Amino acid sequence: MEWRHRHVIDLDTWDRSDLQFIMEQSRSMDELLDRPIKKVPALRGKLVVNLFFEASTRTRVSFELAEKFLSADVVNWSASGSSTGKGETLRDTAWTLEAMGADAVVIRHGAVGAADYLARKLRKSSVFNGGDGAHAHPTQALLDLYTAWKKLGDLDGMKMAMIGDVLHSRVARSDIIAFNRMGVKVELSGPATLMPRDTHALGAEFREDPRDALKGADIVYLLRIQRERQEEGMFPSLDEYHQFFGADDELLEFARPGALVMHPGPINRGVEISSTVADGAQSMILGQVRSGVALRMALLFVCLGGANQ
Amino acid sequence: MRTLLRNAILFNGSSMEDDPTDILIVDGTIEKICSGTDAGQADRSWDLCGLVLCPGFIDLHCHLRDPGQEWREDIISGSLAGAAGGYTTLVCMPNTDPPIDSPALVRYVLEKSGYGKGTRVLPAGCVSKGRKGKTLAEMGKMALAGAVLFTDDGSPVGDSNLLRLALQYSSRLGVRIMEHPEDSSLAFGAQVNDGICSTFSGLKGWPTAAEAADISRGISLCRDTGVPIHFTHVSSGESIEVLRSAKYSGLPVTCDVTPHHLSLAEGSVISSGYDGVFKVNPPLRSISDKDSLWEGIADGTVDAIATDHAPYHLDEKDLPFQEASFGIASLECAVAAVLNEWHRRGKPFPMERLLSLFTSGPSSILPKEWKWLGKIETGSPADLTVLDPELEREVDVKTWKSKARLSPWDGERLKGWPVMTLVMGETVHIDRESFKGRG
Repeated sequence: MEWRHRHVIDLDTWDRSDLQFIMEQSRSMDELLDRPIKKVPALRGKLVVNLFFEASTRTRVSFELAEKFLSADVVNWSASGSSTGKGETLRDTAWTLEAMGADAVVIRHGAVGAADYLARKLRKSSVFNGGDGAHAHPTQALLDLYTAWKKLGDLDGMKMAMIGDVLHSRVARSDIIAFNRMGVKVELSGPATLMPRDTHALGAEFREDPRDALKGADIVYLLRIQRERQEEGMFPSLDEYHQFFGADDELLEFARPGALVMHPGPINRGVEISSTVADGAQSMILGQVRSGVALRMALLFVCLGGANQ
Repeated sequence: MRTLLRNAILFNGSSMEDDPTDILIVDGTIEKICSGTDAGQADRSWDLCGLVLCPGFIDLHCHLRDPGQEWREDIISGSLAGAAGGYTTLVCMPNTDPPIDSPALVRYVLEKSGYGKGTRVLPAGCVSKGRKGKTLAEMGKMALAGAVLFTDDGSPVGDSNLLRLALQYSSRLGVRIMEHPEDSSLAFGAQVNDGICSTFSGLKGWPTAAEAADISRGISLCRDTGVPIHFTHVSSGESIEVLRSAKYSGLPVTCDVTPHHLSLAEGSVISSGYDGVFKVNPPLRSISDKDSLWEGIADGTVDAIATDHAPYHLDEKDLPFQEASFGIASLECAVAAVLNEWHRRGKPFPMERLLSLFTSGPSSILPKEWKWLGKIETGSPADLTVLDPELEREVDVKTWKSKARLSPWDGERLKGWPVMTLVMGETVHIDRESFKGRG
């Protein structure tokens, strides 16, 4: 298949065949991860810059591992240790990176649209969005999709319940697009103050009662609750949140037996998820982490020209 | 000096004349409105066949950034941009640095505007000292010095008691209060319309209730004091509805809408990949809000179209959306953007209705001594705007007189442009190409 995406900014321009192709590529990479020597020379001589303006350990390490397993040259450019802290604009940073010969830039930024912006400013490099504000986190969505696909096979006609702070979640926005495109029905629940204005437009149904959202769900996706949201007064207390929306064994009863439990991490035990569920047999949380490395390897490989060679 | 404008389609501020009309200007004053005049009577003569001759256009709301932010715009560049955009009068906002809250600064604007060969610039003064929203600015002295509106624009007058006092106090001055309608607690941190745009982007949503709630408060205070109040850059259908019913009950409330809310919607923010050029306060709204503004024009709820021209330096706008400044620069294509949308909608009402929102509509909101603006009458100063409603042309910000170098319409082909602007009989703008062979 001819791969048509130079960048990975958002999944709204991806169709089902793009997603299907990436799933299959990820599976090949996943097999590599089982070998005693994981490194392959696929991106030898390519320069990948990890440009992180927000603190992130998981996403950055996952990208870095993927880049290293593919033998790319890797530079970690963290905003606090660079001139950005002294007020360089993103435009100047972009041009500097290109002048240094970056083939790909992975960007994590607190401002919505930062990855779009970077892609507009770069003439040759590929841009991978590692999360922009509350807008999009496409690689997380793809790794979630891959995790579910690996476990459940064809996802068409399945149902996902997503519980938590959808309003501030880039993970939710990207996951809803990705799972919808693969034919998964998504139902949301959480405090109404943490829901976006128009969940229908997003492609999901809002249920006030999480038990309704979970009814018949094949996948239960829990979103991280940021403590700041409670401090901002968007809901009264973490304890009250857990009582109504926290995933414990009792709530999980409402889903289809054996439903997958997913979470983008890091988890807040006792808030959005109880320890018994997080560590239980249905939990895919660590599987997601492994999938993340394979998926990112696949993305880097195909976007940097590997698949078309 | 005798200038003759011949064979024009004349819009006199309220209606269109049926027959081609001539206007003779002698030393800056309209001497005669007639027909079939001999071109030999004048030193200079233009044939305006097929063009619409209107009272000079008035912009009740623009930001000229002077004093204090001249890297964005200044009174001279703004007044030249206004002339090129077909305006003869601009009202500049007082959210400068320092804010225009004293008679000295009012006089500064008036004096500096005299240095340029562009549009007349009239200052709006602050409602509150330092635009801080605490105590009344010297509105009486500013009115005497020539302030034509009072507003804390950029921010609402958030303290309801202060707004009430301002209405009561300014009543005898004959200078209207212009409120920037925004409930700040509802709009806090907001970036885009609370609807499709906030849903998809994850940016904090700006509910239309933030605007309508403040307008409702202003209407209550208008009813309470009996003093007129003007609401600027009204952006939503909900606000139009509230204003419509207030007007219906006979309250002296007026409002204006902007060219960008009339011609753009929140979808542009998403489809552009979150380009900061579309970031503005109040935000671009839904298609249905936009439709409501046009309905508000059709039924007379809207009194004026005002640009809210808000120029910034490229470096303040060419940033990721969330970091870009709020504001759209439009003076030089505002009229075209509105006419183009009117064409695109299949001319939903006669052109007169639209033209009155640039002329008699805004002049009725200004103090008495400016009531002659917005009309074409014998004996009045010749402030005139000539339109070619069929002319199609591409917007090119590189040619702008404004210091702004970024616009949502850059590169767009728009239909309907001002081609000549006269202030006190002086030609401050002429589109040479359009006037080839018309001399």
